[in-house]
Parts: sequence; structure tokens; C-alpha cells
Amino acid sequence: MIKRLFILMMLAVMAVIFLNLAGNYRENTELSRLGHYYAENGPQELGAPNLVTAVVVTYRGLDTLGEVTVLFISAAGVGLLLRRTRRKQDDEDLEQGDRAEETAGVHKPASEIVETATELLLPMVILFGIYVFLNGHLSPGGGFQGGAIIASGTMFLLLALPESHISRLMIAVIESLSGFSYVVVGVLGVLLAGGFLDNRIIDPGTYGALFSAGAIPLIYVFVGLKVGFELSAVLDRFRKEDTGPL
Amino acid sequence: MVAAFFTDVMLQPLGIYVLALGAGFLVPLFDRAHRGSAMLVFMGSLAGMVAIAALNLYAIINGAAVIDIETAGIAPPFAINLRFGLFEGGVVLAVNIAALLGAWHYLPSLKQHASALLLYLILVMGINGMVMTRDLFNLFIFIEITSIATYALIGMERTGTVLAAGFKYIIATSVATAFFLLGTIFIYYQVGTLNIDDIISHGALIHGPIGLIATLFVLTSLLIELKPYPANGWGLDVYETANSGIASLISVGVSAGVFFALFKLLPLMDAYLDSIAVVAGATFLLSNIIGLKQHNAKRLLGYSSIGQMGLLTLALVLLEQLDAGAQIALVVGGLFVNHLLAKAGLFWLAGIVDRTNIKDWASIARRPELLILLGLMFAALIGLPPFPGFWAKWELVMLLGSADQYGWILLVLLGSLLEAAYLFRWFSHARKRDDELTEHVCSFWQPAPVAIAAALLVAIGFGMAGTMDLDVPAMFLPLLAGFGLWLIDGLPARVKQLAMLLAVAAGGYWLTQELTGINQLFSYLLVAGGLLISIATIYRNDVRNGFYPLLAVLLLSLAALLRASTTLEFFFSWELMTLSSYLLITLARAGIKPALAYLLFSLGSAYFIFAGFAAAFASTGSILLADLGNVSSPGLVFSLLAAGFVIKMGGFGVHIWLPDAYAEADDDFTAMLSAVVSKAGIFGLVIIAAQLGIRSDIGLDPAYVLGWIGILTATFGALMAVFQEDIKRLVAYSSMGQLGYIVTGVALMSHLGWVSALYLTVNHFLFKGILFLSIAGIVLRTNERLMYKMGGLIKNMPVTFVFTMIAIIAMSGVPPLTGFGGKWMLFNALMEKGWYWIAALAFFSSAVAFLYMFRLLQTVFLGQRKLEHAKLREAPAILLVPQVVMIAAIMAISAYPKLLLDPLSAAINPWIANTLVWDGFALQTHYGYWNAPLIMAIVGGVWMVPLIILLLVSLTMKIQKVEQFNIVYAAERPHRPEDTHFAYNFFAHYDRAIGFLVRPRATAFWNAVIEWSHTLGSSLRVFYNGNGQTYALFILMYFVAMVLFNGGLGS
Amino acid sequence: MSLIADTPISLIVLCSGLALVLIGLWGMLTQRNMIRMIVGFSLTDTGVHMVMVSIGYVTGGTAPIINDAVPIAEAASRVVDPVPSALVLTAIVIGLGVTAVMLSVAIRIYKARRTLMIDECTESKW
Repeated sequence: MIKRLFILMMLAVMAVIFLNLAGNYRENTELSRLGHYYAENGPQELGAPNLVTAVVVTYRGLDTLGEVTVLFISAAGVGLLLRRTRRKQDDEDLEQGDRAEETAGVHKPASEIVETATELLLPMVILFGIYVFLNGHLSPGGGFQGGAIIASGTMFLLLALPESHISRLMIAVIESLSGFSYVVVGVLGVLLAGGFLDNRIIDPGTYGALFSAGAIPLIYVFVGLKVGFELSAVLDRFRKEDTGPL
Repeated sequence: MVAAFFTDVMLQPLGIYVLALGAGFLVPLFDRAHRGSAMLVFMGSLAGMVAIAALNLYAIINGAAVIDIETAGIAPPFAINLRFGLFEGGVVLAVNIAALLGAWHYLPSLKQHASALLLYLILVMGINGMVMTRDLFNLFIFIEITSIATYALIGMERTGTVLAAGFKYIIATSVATAFFLLGTIFIYYQVGTLNIDDIISHGALIHGPIGLIATLFVLTSLLIELKPYPANGWGLDVYETANSGIASLISVGVSAGVFFALFKLLPLMDAYLDSIAVVAGATFLLSNIIGLKQHNAKRLLGYSSIGQMGLLTLALVLLEQLDAGAQIALVVGGLFVNHLLAKAGLFWLAGIVDRTNIKDWASIARRPELLILLGLMFAALIGLPPFPGFWAKWELVMLLGSADQYGWILLVLLGSLLEAAYLFRWFSHARKRDDELTEHVCSFWQPAPVAIAAALLVAIGFGMAGTMDLDVPAMFLPLLAGFGLWLIDGLPARVKQLAMLLAVAAGGYWLTQELTGINQLFSYLLVAGGLLISIATIYRNDVRNGFYPLLAVLLLSLAALLRASTTLEFFFSWELMTLSSYLLITLARAGIKPALAYLLFSLGSAYFIFAGFAAAFASTGSILLADLGNVSSPGLVFSLLAAGFVIKMGGFGVHIWLPDAYAEADDDFTAMLSAVVSKAGIFGLVIIAAQLGIRSDIGLDPAYVLGWIGILTATFGALMAVFQEDIKRLVAYSSMGQLGYIVTGVALMSHLGWVSALYLTVNHFLFKGILFLSIAGIVLRTNERLMYKMGGLIKNMPVTFVFTMIAIIAMSGVPPLTGFGGKWMLFNALMEKGWYWIAALAFFSSAVAFLYMFRLLQTVFLGQRKLEHAKLREAPAILLVPQVVMIAAIMAISAYPKLLLDPLSAAINPWIANTLVWDGFALQTHYGYWNAPLIMAIVGGVWMVPLIILLLVSLTMKIQKVEQFNIVYAAERPHRPEDTHFAYNFFAHYDRAIGFLVRPRATAFWNAVIEWSHTLGSSLRVFYNGNGQTYALFILMYFVAMVLFNGGLGS
Repeated sequence: MSLIADTPISLIVLCSGLALVLIGLWGMLTQRNMIRMIVGFSLTDTGVHMVMVSIGYVTGGTAPIINDAVPIAEAASRVVDPVPSALVLTAIVIGLGVTAVMLSVAIRIYKARRTLMIDECTESKW
């Protein structure tokens, strides 16, 4: 009880600190130095109408590569943690836990409505996902958003057809190759343009067109694929807790 | 284009990312294709990362410009940039090397899963990124990459304990990173940029409560990641439970990245440097106190690791405050690389040995290579030479001294001492052979990464010495000789001994040939004397692994000590001597425990000396020993240094290590300790007395105190010797007491006082050398150390008896042998100075000394012989040879003291004008004269006349020879000689009278100190209750405290 | 009503974000069930994201996409700051990654221990 009280006290002090923050906060009336530069020069420099995309993919491209890496390693980490216990190798209680799971873990089949709806929606969801990442440089959206939409398609699939099989090999190949290609595009930036992850290795093309803004759409394709498949893999692993070799 | 790919990308620092990410992404595919290829790619990438860092750092050291990597072809601050300068390069290279070696160690676990390989690879890349990035938000990303990879690798083992620790770790670090993100965004709000250099140059824009809170968010978050006390239980749990491979990488790699991030952002933290220093200092000291209570090997390493990070942070902040940016590379860099390699090596070793409780580490007692590695790592961690930590600590303490920051010096030294206590306690456990434990088995290659880390530590330490304008060859010669002898340690003992003698003779000659004055005198004593005693060491016929290499290190470091012209060289050799003599004591089976006390008191002594040198440097700005006399506060410097030397000599109150160490060390090594090693303390005392006591006319009060300490040591040493049953302990206490006279002699600060001190020093060398070597022979033959179990050995060991007797006469101070002259001069000098009370005590203790000396001779050699001792032989000739030389020296000096007194006087003359007045062979003072040849002649006559008469009588008269148990000899024949043995509790009657004086009060005091520290340790660790929520709460409190302390709620 | 109407919109988001952070912290500190603690973490994380977004707001600004509605010439004066939006995008993904790993650890703890109570996982201490 004393501990509870203490926690509340600490949170109260935290609240006072936060009030201090909020009380001194004045809404910006103009862009920050960085924001101003991007708004002024972003479109001309990179040819991407969506400034957020320009910042995400190019100006702060290293962040985004890191972000992709984070997703990659958390998918790998989830896989590593939830790998199936190999008999005789891991310890006893784990093994018992797994066996209990196997006997009890009969998946309930989904209702017909869900199944039918999924069959109808799934292609559209995936298509929409692709649309979102392809148009990331023009309109709201991008690789992560598109990838997340694709993964939600996987979610549908898993809900509707719990026994459906998702190919590990395919996931691994796409995940690895798209990640690797991203790095290759980044390196090409050094060789062909101004620096690592510079998107101007490809002719920027017509401003506002689908195939414009240099390598941004290309990168977003890789990111979209990678994110989509990685999130799907994570979902799949949470479902089965069995990954086998990654 | 291919060429450009290599020159512009792969060979640039950027190549580290490209390599790690490219390989990381592809590892799963390689794994599917072929398991081995994945491992190849993995190890190859790590090696490549090391190579890239090394190449670029090499270029920068050779004058290339700092490499700034711009991304996206846009200049910062509008795009993210990376930097690879000297510091970045150093840290990246060190981390990558540790990661590569760690991967080697960790590979058996890692290779089970392709994802583990890629996680490790990306984890290392994340650390590199934390070091190189110049963007605040990008830093956050790299912190998160590192964190997530760490979480997954911790959890890889999937036992409940590891997972629970991992969960606490995740909760704690994610709270910290949430804080970081909040701070970052509010900094962006105020400055409008995320580039670190840009933020720093616009630092003024960070203002008001928002600026303060935002900065504190960032700062606290980084500090939390460095695991400050008490908000670090989560880190300890992971260190304790996780696989050694990942624990080592967290301890050295992740911490390095975070630490470097803090370093980068430090210009923003100007207002909070005090808070950081307090936090870091407290962490260093407190985790080392708590470490005393810990017996779990890896958790103990955790405490040490946290402490070291505290020390690093403290050093960084203090240097920043002192505007000593130029020293950061040496101090912080040295401490950093020292911690990195040593701690990683220890974690790997813990993984290899795989014993949870440090008491079970006895399983490696028969694995010398593992023991050596363990010892090297421990020595490095506490900053013993020649490791990088030594140089870094030296520089840090000197800097702190010159800024009058004595509080911080105390904290750094105290913390180091505590760390030494628990690390070397661990080492003691590992040394202790326990036949019940199963021996540790590991493959030949398993410890290889640890060995490489150790080699790197030595190499870097050597390199650091090279930058400091010192007499490096002389300083490293002892180590080189030791290493060379270690290589031939498998040869027969005789060969090893011969090699050792040759090495020490040649090395010692080279080191000491140019010395003059007092140093030259001591070189005869320490080097030639040490060699003389070393001759006897062959008397045992076992292999004595490690003995000769260490002995060479010890003797040559003594020689190097004499040669030292700077305080740094002096301290280096001093520490080397301490370490080698400690290890030599542990070679005896029962010596391990006393050796620990020896080491700790020796280190305590070394730290006093260290502080004294720092105080001297503060005042003169010079590390030359010759400049010691110019200090402005000689009293302080003298007191600190004298305290150090007196501890090393076993002064009254701090002597408790001495009897145990002397008693339990190998018998011949005890002779070395008492006759030779103890002289190093006297040498130090004489040097500082010469430099400080005389030259600067003040410091007399400390000298008077020193005089009292000396005489009390003499008195109590003698009193305690009286009541010993163990022959070695008796002589050990006697040795302590005799050194007391010398201390008093030095403290007199007069010509006669110093002559008597040096004279007694030489004399002490001679008679203690003889006594301990005689004892070695007696113990060898009887296998006993308790005197009442001996008796009547005169018949078996007549030569030893004669030698012992001569030594005792020389020691006791009765005419005609050397001791008389020493005492006579000392009393004269005391009277001359007017120290009457001290003189009175000196008389008293001399009288007491007769009691134990008499007992030594009588109970061992005279009286009834034990039945089982009937067939004992004389001591081995090789033991007697050095004694013959020393007896000859005693005789020569006794007859012609001028032989010795003239050179002594000449050595002292540069400091104090000669007051010795010679009248022919007689030495004159106010109180009388001493004509040694005359005395010799008279006493010789007094002895010879009765002897001749008795011989004549025995030739002319018929004398009945009496066997031992002949009824004629006693009124009644005893059943067994022991029943009536008089020697047990020989001085019981005195015990009733003065025994209260010698109750072990000092021991009780020091035991209480240990008790207190342990109690303190247990009360300090109550915070670590194992509950993840409590740990999270501490993190919150930590932040709140930082805000409140810095007045964050002011408006 | 006027109080809310007069309050700048970003301040409301900011305050809500900070409130979420507090609620999340409360959850992490008081809920013994690890899954609930993870929920607490997610709340805190989301709160931080809201704070980030609110910081990027410029009074009267619109989405930073240059199209017919916002011509290039007026961009600098009419759009909100794109940087915090970009950062938030990254932060969300990272938060997701952390949450996924946290959940996997919790699942594994449950498998090994048959409990999710944090105070039953205190075997390593002192």
C-alpha cells in the first residue's frame, strides 16, 4: 500500500513536471528551420510532392533504413523467442508447456461470413496496400503504411483460415532480398549521386507523376514489401509459435 | 564502378553499415542454402568491420582529416551525417574487436539459429551507429536497434530466469528510451534542428523550464542506460543470468555506445555536470561496496561493470569541469579500453568456467592458463601496471590532485581498493585447490579470445607507456624477464633457477649500474642480496611452477624501483613489486588467504603513496622525484607517503597482514620478504625523508609522529613475538619490530639517526636472511613450525645452530656483533635529539627482544630431542651457502664497522653534514665511543679463554658421555620427552603480567572494518528486490530527483 | 466551451499525449500482470507520439503535401512541419518492434513459469 502511495506521489510529481512543459508551450506560428528548408527546397531538390516522404526516405533516409532494420530484427527476435522447442535440447518445463499447447491448441474454424468476406476483401486489401506504397511520394502514405495494410490482409487470412499455410521460404526470400536491395540502392546513391541513400540516382522524371522523385518509389516498394512480409511473419509466429529455421 | 564501390563505400566508415546490414539481411538466405556459409558471412562481416575501423583510424592517426559522411547528398543539418574522428574511430575499433572476439566465444550458441547471427551482427552495427551518428533522433534509432537486438539475444536461452531478467531489462530500457524521445522532441521544439553540432552551436536556444526538462530527459535516459546506482537492478539481473556472450557485449559494447552518446551531448549538459559527477561517483563507490557481499560470479562482474562505467563517467565529467580536454584520450580512453577488454574477457572466462559461485572456481586451480588469464584481467581492472587502466588512473589522480579535488581522489582510490578486495578474493578461491571439486575441462581454443584480449591489454598498456616520456625499457624489463622465464617454466627446476639468476643478475646490473648514493647502497642490498637468497631456493626438489618467473619480476622491479627518477616510474615498479610478491605468497598452499590481506594492505599502502605523489604534483607540477623537495606543503606530502611506506613495512596497527603472510609463504620466500622486500619500504622512507624532511626544514611534526610509530612498532613487535609458538610467526613479529627501530632512526632526521637506520637495515638484511633460511632448513627437516614440537636439534643440525646463534647475537645488540653498533648509534642519536621517552621504549623493547631470541635458540636446538627427530640430517648445503656469506659479512662488519659506516655516511652526506667523528677505529659521540675492533678482541678473549680451559679439561679428564634418556641426566626417566616439555607456553608467566598489551586489538579492529563494509553492502543493496516494477519506479524517481535537484520545478 | 475553443489545438494534443504517458507509466508501475504492463508501455509510447505530432503543428497549417491545394511558392507558409511527422512514423514502427519482442518474452515466460505476474519473477536479486 505504501508502495502504491509512493507511486502515486511520483506520478504526481511527474504530472507537475508535465504541467510545467505544457504551461510553457506556445504553439508554433512558423516552421522550424529544418521544416522551412524542406518546404522550400524539398520539391525541387528531390521531386517528391509529399514532404514527409521526402524527409523520411531521403533527408532522413538513414533513420528509415534503421527503422527497416528495427522491424527486421524484431521479426527475427520474435522468431527466435517463439521458435519451437526442440526436444532433448531445451529444458523440461518448456517442453511440457509446448506439449500442453499442442493437445489443447485446436483452432476454432472461422464462420462462413468471415471466410467469404475475406476471400472478397483480401485481394483488394493487398492491392490497396500496393497502391499506398507506390504513391507514397505523391499522397499520404508510403512503404510502412502500405506494408501495414498488406499485413492486415494477412491478418484477415489468418482469422478466416486459421489453418492456412504461409510459406516461410517466400517470406524469408522477400524479406532478405528487399532489405538487401534497399542497401544496394543506398550504396548506389554514393556511387551515382551525392551520398548514401540519395534518391537522385534515377532521373526525377515529371514532377507529380507516378514514376518520379528518383529512387523514392523504388525504395518504397522494397520497404512496402519488406514491412508487409515481416509483419505477416510476426503475426504468423504469434499464431503458431513455431518458426523452424527462419 | 567496382573500384569506386570499394574506395568510396566499403573502405569508408560507411562500409561498416553496408557490410553489417547487407550481410545481416542476407544471413537467413545463406543459412537456408548452407549453414556453414552463414557463419562464414557472419564472421567475415565482423572481421570486415574491424578492418574498416582499423584502416580509417590508422589514416586519422597519421594525420588524415576527420571523416564526415553526409547522407542523401545533402549537407547537415538538413540530412543526417556521421562522423569518424579520432575518438569515434577508437571506440568503434575497440567495440568491433571486442565484438569479433566475443562472437568467437559466443559462436557455439549463436550458430544454432540464423536469426541469432543476424541479431548479433546488427547489434554491433547499432553500437557503431550510436558512436558515429551526429543526429539526435538517429541516435535514438541506433539505441533502439541495439536494445531490440539485445532483448532478443538475452531471451534466446528461454529459461524462466533469463526471460524474467530480460523482461525487467526491456521495461527499464523502454522507459528510458521513451524519456529520450520526449527530450529529443522538446529540444527540436526549441532549437528547430536535430543535428547534434547544430544543437550545440544553438545551445542558447534551449532555455527555460522546457529546455531544462528536455535536457534532463535526454541526460537521465542516457545515464539510466549506463545503469547508475540505485536504478540498475535490471542490468544486474541480466548480467547475472544471461549468456556470457551477450552479457559481455552489453557490459562493454552497449555501454560504450551509450557512454559515447553522453560524451557527444556533454556540451549541452554544462549546467548538470555536478549532478552527473555525484551520480557517477556514487555508482562507482557503492557498487564496489555491494560487490563485497556478492558471490555469484557473473553478478559480481555486473557490479564491477557498473562501477567501471561510473568511474568512466566520473572521469569524463571531472575532466570536462577541469577543462582538461587534452587528457580525455589518455584518461577516459585508457579506462575505457581497459574496462572493455578486461570485462569482456572476464565475462567470457565466466562463460567458459561456468561456475556460478565464485567459491566453486577452485575447479580451475589446476588450469594455470585460465588462472593466469583471470589474474591478468583482475590486475587490469583495478589498474595495476602495465595495463591501460594504470596509466589512466595515474593521469586522472594527478589531474585531480592539481585541481585540489582530494575528495574525488579518495573516492577513486577507495573504490579501486574495494574492487580489488572482491576481485582478488575471487582469485583466491580460484587458486585454492580443492580435491573434491571436479577439474574444469575446456578445449584448448576456448580461452583463445580471452588470451587475445589479455595480449591486447598488455600491448596497449605498453603503447601508452611509450607516449609518456619515461624510461620504458627499464620499467618493462621485469615483465619481459618474467615472461621469458615463464616460457621455459616447463624445464627442470635447476635450469629454471639458473636462468632466473642469470636474468636477474644481468638485468639488475643493467638497471642499477649507474646508481649512486643511497640508491646504490640499496641496490647492493636488494639486487645482490636478493640474488644471494635466491641461490637457496633450489633446496626444495619440487617443480615450483611460476616461482622463478615471479621471483625475477619481483627482484627486477625492485631494481627498477631504485632506478626510478620520476614518481610515475617509482609507482609503476612499486605496484609491480606488490603484485609479484602477492602472487609468490599465493604459491604456498596455505598462503592464499594471508596473501589476500597482504595484497589489500599493500594496495592501501600504494594508494597512500599515489595520493602523496598527486599532492606533490599539485604543488610542483613535476613528477620528478628530485622535485619532491620543492613542494609547498611538505607536511601533507610527507605524511601521505610515509603512511604508505609504513603500511608496507607492517607498522604498528596496520601490521596484521605481516605475521600471516610471513608465516604462510614458502619458507625460502619468507626470507626474501623479510630480508629484501621489506627494504623497499625503508628505501621509500629514506628517499622522502631526504627530499622532504631535510630539504624543506618543516615536516618535523610528522617526523616525530613517525618516530613514535616506529618505536611502538618495535615494542609491540617484540612483545607479540614473545608469545608465539610458531617459529616463523615469532621471527615475523621480530622482523616487524626490528623494522620499527629503522623507522624511528629515519624519523630522527639527523645524520647519526640515518646512519644507524641504514646500518640497522643492512644488519636486518643479514640476520633475517640467515634466520629465515635456517628456519627453512629446520622446517624442511622436521616438517614442523611449532617450537614446542622441536628441541635438541643441535645434535642433528650443528651448523644451522651456530648460524642461528650468530644471527641472534647480531640481532640482539649485544657485543661484539653488528647489532650492538646499530643499537648504540640509535640510542646516541635519540639522546642527541632529546627523544627520551622513545629512547626509554627502545631500551624496553630491546630487553623484551631477548626473551624471544633466547627462546628461539633454546627450544629448538637445546633441551630434549624428540624421538622422531633422532635421524634428522643437517640442512641442505644450498641453504647454508648464502648463510655462510652473510655470516662472513656480519663478522667483517662487526670487526670493522668502518667498512659499512663510511659508505653509509658518504651516501647521507649530500643530505646532512657528516657528524661521525672517528678516532682511529673508535666512533665518538657526546655520550662515549665505540671501538668495534677492541670490543671484538675483548669479547673474543672472554670467550676464548674459558673455551681453551674447557678443552684442556676435557682432554685431560675422563668425562662420561650421557645418552639422551640416561637416568644420570634427569632424576627420573620420562616416558616421553613431550610430557615434561618446558617449551610449550614458555612465557605464560609474562603473559599474566603484560599479556593485555598484546591482545589482538588491531586484528579485531580490521575485522570490524570488514564487518562494517559488509553490513553497509547489504543495506545498500536492499533496493535490488528483484521486482521489475520496483526497478521501473527507481528510474522514474531518478528522473524526478534529477529535475528537483536542478530546480526544474522552479517556475 | 470557450476555454477549449481558445486553447490551441496542438496544446490539447500535447496535454492528451502527456496524460497518456502518465497513464501508461501508472500501468507499468502498478499492474502486476506483464501483458498489462505491456499495454501500459504501449500507452506511454502512443502518448509520446502524440506529443511529437503536436510539436510539429504550425498554427493554421495543412498537410505537408505540395499539390494543387498548396502550390510550391506558398509551401513554406502554409504547411505544418514535416519533420515530426517523419519522426513519428519511425517511432511508431520502433514502438511496434519493441512491443512485439516484449510480447514474445511474456509468452515465453508464461510457458516456462505458467505465470505472468511480475512479482513472481524475482529470483535474481541483491
